[in-house]
Amino acid sequence: MPEQDNQNSQRALLEMKGIEILFPGVKALDGVDFTLNAGEVHALLGENGAGKSTLIKCLTGVHHKDAGTILLDGKEITPTNPQQAIDMGISTVFQEINLCPNLTVAENIFVGRQEFKHRIINKRARELMKRFHLDIDVTRPLSYYSTAVQQMVSIARAVDIQARILILDEPTSSLDENEVQLLFSVMRELKAQGMGIIFITHFLDQIYAISDRMTILRNGHLVGTYGIHEMTKLELVTAMIGKDMDVIFNLHPANLRQDAGNMLEADHIGAPGTIADISLSIKEGELVGFAGLLGSGRTETAELIFGATRSMKGSMKVKGKEVQVKRPFDAIMSGIAFCPEDRKRDGIIADLSIRENIMLAVQAKRGFLRPLSRQEQNELADKYIKALSIATPDAEKKIGELSGGNQQKVILARWMATQPDLLILDEPTRGIDVGAKAEIQRLMLQMCEDGVSVIFISSELEEVIRCSNRIVILRDGVKAGELTGPFEGDTQNKILQIIAEGMQAGGEA
Amino acid sequence: MKEKTVSSRQSLFSRIMNPKYIMVYATIGIFLIIYIFGAIMYGSIGFTTLRTFVNFFTDNAYYGISAVGMTMVLITGGIDLSVASVQSLTGMLIAYGYTELGISPLITIPFAILVAVGLGTLMGAAIYYLNVPPFITTLTGNFLARGVCSLISRKSISIDHPLINKLAGIKFTLYKYADGEWVKIKPITSISLNVVIFIVMIIIGTIILQHTRFGRNVYAVGGNEQSARLMGLPVGRIKISVYAFNGFCSALAGIAYLLVVKSGWNMALQGGELEVISCAVIGGTLLTGGVGFMIGTMFGVLLKSVIPALITFNGHLNSWWGKIATGALLLLFIVIQSAVVSYSGKQKQKK
Repeated sequence: MPEQDNQNSQRALLEMKGIEILFPGVKALDGVDFTLNAGEVHALLGENGAGKSTLIKCLTGVHHKDAGTILLDGKEITPTNPQQAIDMGISTVFQEINLCPNLTVAENIFVGRQEFKHRIINKRARELMKRFHLDIDVTRPLSYYSTAVQQMVSIARAVDIQARILILDEPTSSLDENEVQLLFSVMRELKAQGMGIIFITHFLDQIYAISDRMTILRNGHLVGTYGIHEMTKLELVTAMIGKDMDVIFNLHPANLRQDAGNMLEADHIGAPGTIADISLSIKEGELVGFAGLLGSGRTETAELIFGATRSMKGSMKVKGKEVQVKRPFDAIMSGIAFCPEDRKRDGIIADLSIRENIMLAVQAKRGFLRPLSRQEQNELADKYIKALSIATPDAEKKIGELSGGNQQKVILARWMATQPDLLILDEPTRGIDVGAKAEIQRLMLQMCEDGVSVIFISSELEEVIRCSNRIVILRDGVKAGELTGPFEGDTQNKILQIIAEGMQAGGEA
Repeated sequence: MKEKTVSSRQSLFSRIMNPKYIMVYATIGIFLIIYIFGAIMYGSIGFTTLRTFVNFFTDNAYYGISAVGMTMVLITGGIDLSVASVQSLTGMLIAYGYTELGISPLITIPFAILVAVGLGTLMGAAIYYLNVPPFITTLTGNFLARGVCSLISRKSISIDHPLINKLAGIKFTLYKYADGEWVKIKPITSISLNVVIFIVMIIIGTIILQHTRFGRNVYAVGGNEQSARLMGLPVGRIKISVYAFNGFCSALAGIAYLLVVKSGWNMALQGGELEVISCAVIGGTLLTGGVGFMIGTMFGVLLKSVIPALITFNGHLNSWWGKIATGALLLLFIVIQSAVVSYSGKQKQKK
């Protein structure tokens, strides 16, 4: 931004010096410095587990620091609970929407505040919503509106509290492009009014679009604070993960063996209400990417193949042999594994250890009459912790205590341990940081080289294109097209075109 | 309405059609359907008289008073299984106090209220600080109150004190204005003190819930406790206050019950807590918390009175049909509730 010089001459609104936080067994933050000026957007960056959230929680009084000082306007503060932080003018919008769905929009903005008369809060809420260009009825319950609207309401709440520091923790993950632009325009307005904004996001483009400065954390340590134009995206990512990024960008799917037979042949399978009719074949060692918009039928197709939704028609062959997949167990027995989309809900069992989580599918496949001995379990767990470089002191740690990327690796290990012939991965890289993403992708490709077939579902077209041998494009529950690699530079446009036009542009489908 | 001010863009219609009132409308609607059915069937033998209508309030007034506190507890996402035992204990303390020990109700009434509020506070504190589920905590409270009750006496103890008799005898006879003078409504209709307490408590409950900061906080805690905490609301104070208030309502209901039966008995009102909870649920209060209105609870109480009334007017049916009908009604409401909840979930996805 051109105001760079102004920025530097401005006084620091917030100074955090030498912050140290100890968790049992780990130093979550070690001597981190962070300065926020009035009227700037300051991006806070780092991988999952780098300490971003911990730093924010320290500032908002959720965690208590073990060393270091926090100065607000030059005066030392020690917030001990969220309310105190709010009173000091530090307001936070979390990734998960922390509002009450049963209260009205207006009530959500004003609950816990001085004003509570319906007439007044409704009027003020309407004014606020107008500022956010949202035309909604503020007297309706919040649950009546979409996640995006709810996210905007939670930002409105944070803004209307006379905040001087606004912390936005992954606010854009549920917003579409227009809504992101709307949020940015509100952020610029607030910035002009002298508010200091701390912005946390996984989307690198957004950082460059809105931020003035950025502070990078890695493993609880400070990497540095930089002006936004001092670093290219590649340098930034390298700084975040501390590894050379070339590895990531040089991932390529392996060439298929000439003699590769068909791993899966699905012939006109379908179930009413989800996927009407789909045919699909996957070769041994092939990585097939599913592309398409949310709700286009990617997950539904996967569930159909895995038997989570029972197919009412057609037939399926695995390795040329006809199979009846009526329920997930049948699929597991025929060598299909499925890593579901919602990691927290369908994937991990948070209170069990890493070992137990890895074990689950293997044991299910063997049947409960043939339990794995503790020794076998330990070997299995250790093998995969090492192979997937899962960051944990030992296999007995609860999976819920791991970062998102490591949880994902454990789930991957669970299915790899069953030695599947076909592995379906639904959004395995969502919500995890760049480094972990690259590792997951590398693992997928590694498995393909070993002859396993993979179905890879992701909303990020880039990574689908990078990893897949073949891409199946879905649209409104039907196969809209298919593209076979190796892919050229304009593949992304081709896919988007197919999604936009549907069958007319469809390839060999 | 005064809402026709500058700021109000909304029509009265859209205000009334706000989805948050759906459950209340359902309750009122079903009450009206049943009432109209009764009016058609038994209008000629007095179903439509004002007296019959007032009796809907009188019959279950003590449950109604208790349901006011229960509604609030349910809105926070909790539950209180101790209310009926506390009511029984209240009656026992007052009756035993005077009949066996000669202590005036003037002293035992405040004492009983104090005991009930104290127990409520204790349970609220256990729920909040010790993180014991409300179901367990209040079940314990239930056993405790019932136990103390039986410890005092296992016989039914009647009370014959001038104050109690006087309170029980209070009747406000209703008049109407006709032909230039006030005349008594025929058949003579009068409102007892219990009904007055019931209606006043409904009004107080409505004011607390809809027009105070505390009320809004109660809804917030029920909607999402974690969010409420992050919004900086004093969650602990809110929850404890709600259980304390419910204790107060239980004591009041216990006194109202005492005025009806004029005795204390350790086994009185067994299972009454479920009656109270069902009043609130039929009135549209969600058991999962966050949703509920006092006016709905009032109609819930009326619904529980109108069904037995129909059976009485019919004259042939076994009175247990009342229980069956109430059960069916409860089921119906829970089905409607989950339908509404899942429907609003789908709405959200569409937008």
